[in-house]
Amino acid sequence: MAHWAIEYLLLWGLGFGLALGVAAWIDDSGWDALPGWLSGRVGWLAYLVGAVGLLMVTVAPVWRYRVHRWEVSADVVYTRTGWFSREWLLVPVGRIQTVETGQGWLERMLGLATIEINTASHTGSSEVSGLPVDVATRLADDLAHRAHDLRDDAT
Amino acid sequence: MTGPAQRLHPLTFVVGAVRELVALLAAGMTGLVVGGLSTAFYFTLVGLAFGLFFHIAGWATFTYIVREDRIELRRSLIGRSVKSIPRDRIRGVDISTSLPHRLLGLAVVHIDAGADGGEGELNAVSRHEAERLRRVLLTRTEQPRRVLGRMRRRWYVYAPLSGAYLLTPFALAGSLLGTLYNLGDDLGLITQERVESAGHSAVGLPTALVVALAILVLIAMPVMSVIVFTLFNWDFTVHERDGSLVAERGLVTRRSVSLERRRLRGVEFADNPFERAAGVTRLGALITGLGDAAHRGRLLPAAPRPAAEALATRVLGAIPGPLLPHPTAARGRRVARAMAPPAGVALLAVAAGQFWVAYVCAVLAVFAVPLGLDRYRQLGHATGSGLLTVRSGSLRRRQVVIEHGAIVGWRVRRTLFQRRLGLATLFVAVGAGEGGYTALDMAEGDAVALAASITPAWLAPFLDAPLPVDAAAP
Repeated sequence: MAHWAIEYLLLWGLGFGLALGVAAWIDDSGWDALPGWLSGRVGWLAYLVGAVGLLMVTVAPVWRYRVHRWEVSADVVYTRTGWFSREWLLVPVGRIQTVETGQGWLERMLGLATIEINTASHTGSSEVSGLPVDVATRLADDLAHRAHDLRDDAT
Repeated sequence: MTGPAQRLHPLTFVVGAVRELVALLAAGMTGLVVGGLSTAFYFTLVGLAFGLFFHIAGWATFTYIVREDRIELRRSLIGRSVKSIPRDRIRGVDISTSLPHRLLGLAVVHIDAGADGGEGELNAVSRHEAERLRRVLLTRTEQPRRVLGRMRRRWYVYAPLSGAYLLTPFALAGSLLGTLYNLGDDLGLITQERVESAGHSAVGLPTALVVALAILVLIAMPVMSVIVFTLFNWDFTVHERDGSLVAERGLVTRRSVSLERRRLRGVEFADNPFERAAGVTRLGALITGLGDAAHRGRLLPAAPRPAAEALATRVLGAIPGPLLPHPTAARGRRVARAMAPPAGVALLAVAAGQFWVAYVCAVLAVFAVPLGLDRYRQLGHATGSGLLTVRSGSLRRRQVVIEHGAIVGWRVRRTLFQRRLGLATLFVAVGAGEGGYTALDMAEGDAVALAASITPAWLAPFLDAPLPVDAAAP
């Protein structure tokens, strides 16, 4: 959760800064193409971006954390992701081709890892992010072994 | 059955040399005519000799060996390279013959081994050897070929309907004009004055003539499209041989594509509204690991729907049907989706004070309503006898038929709006074609039930568990 919050904070902070810059630049340049009602109030747009960003930083990570689930049953990997739109993904272990674990610099600071489960199809490939490192490694090992055992050729 | 190391056909370099050197030769001749025995001419001559030497050396140092488990292509012109392609990785062997090849009785063999095995080309071997290689590489037993489908003569007039070939006359005219101009420029025939006078006389042309020319071009478009289409797809035949589907086509360059039957995952019907009105459709195969699938996977470039369906049935099995329509709630979503882009632009235009743009976009938005309605009408899915089929799209409608065994995963997406309408989009992940096909806006329960009916073992643990699918709905 903290990971997403930091990611959103960085992204929207950057967006806010950019918007402020652009607004200031438009104000200065006295661009006539702007319709009347907008000129002189361009600065507001930047604050709008900032407000939305604040909302994203506080609400979205919590929401996403509550939606996200993953489960590995006997031979199917199930994941649920999203917040506004939800996605369920079911991938049978037998159709998994590769399992990867990765850690970004942020994730490393927080002791998290992401597992990428790839099948022959892009649509059927999933990602479980924000797992504790040891859980992720164990899961990846386990999946890779079982995928090897259960392998059937539909690719 | 390891064979001896073999070379390509000795006449190979003739084709290569002739094809690549024709340009040089022409340049050399031009140089001779214009400038006499100038330095440029000698340069061209040296280039010519060097090119010929290069081709001969390339031929002399290239060998291929068919071994028990692999085929090796050795090249040792500059440095040695051995490319070995495992025979069980070979997914297709294409044979193509261009006009010069055909005159000399040669054929180019293209070996496709999917993404991990790479591909190899034998350019060129004798026609007989090409056929032998295909037999050896693709198969293990000899079987007679069986014709599955063939283009009829009158199907070639469907070409203009697809729209793909309509612009060919312009492309042809453009390249012809460009060539002429370059040639004339090289020969010093084109001068500033001549271009200007041509421009003046073009402006001075009577209106009637211009209109007549325009009409001529308009007529030429469909006619030319039929001609080009026929050139590419002449005598399009699909037959079955040794566990492969072989599609042959072409008048000048005859192309034949082999698609291994056991890598076939399904088929796809595609058409646009014009083709639908004429009852015509295009049939393609979904093959795992096939590069350039849009062209190479084609099974029928244009055919009446019953004929295409008959071929699909022969290739894959009975197509499930009739398609079940999706819930009415999906109609509003389709219409809204169709109207949103022009309506959005219209709103922006109003905000920006560009009323003209706004009017145009508003009209477009109104026209988008029937489009959205048609998109809804085309939605459908069905399953049965080991096959699943889903259909969507209007301007480019596609119906894919997929084998149950080819499905590698399910993805169900419900956006905020879909959740309120009780809809869900089901993505069928397949390791062939585009990798995934969607059944848009199904009823939530239906989507899960459909997936569960096809792969009960995958969903069963989750249907009963407290967490997932049905229980997850808020």
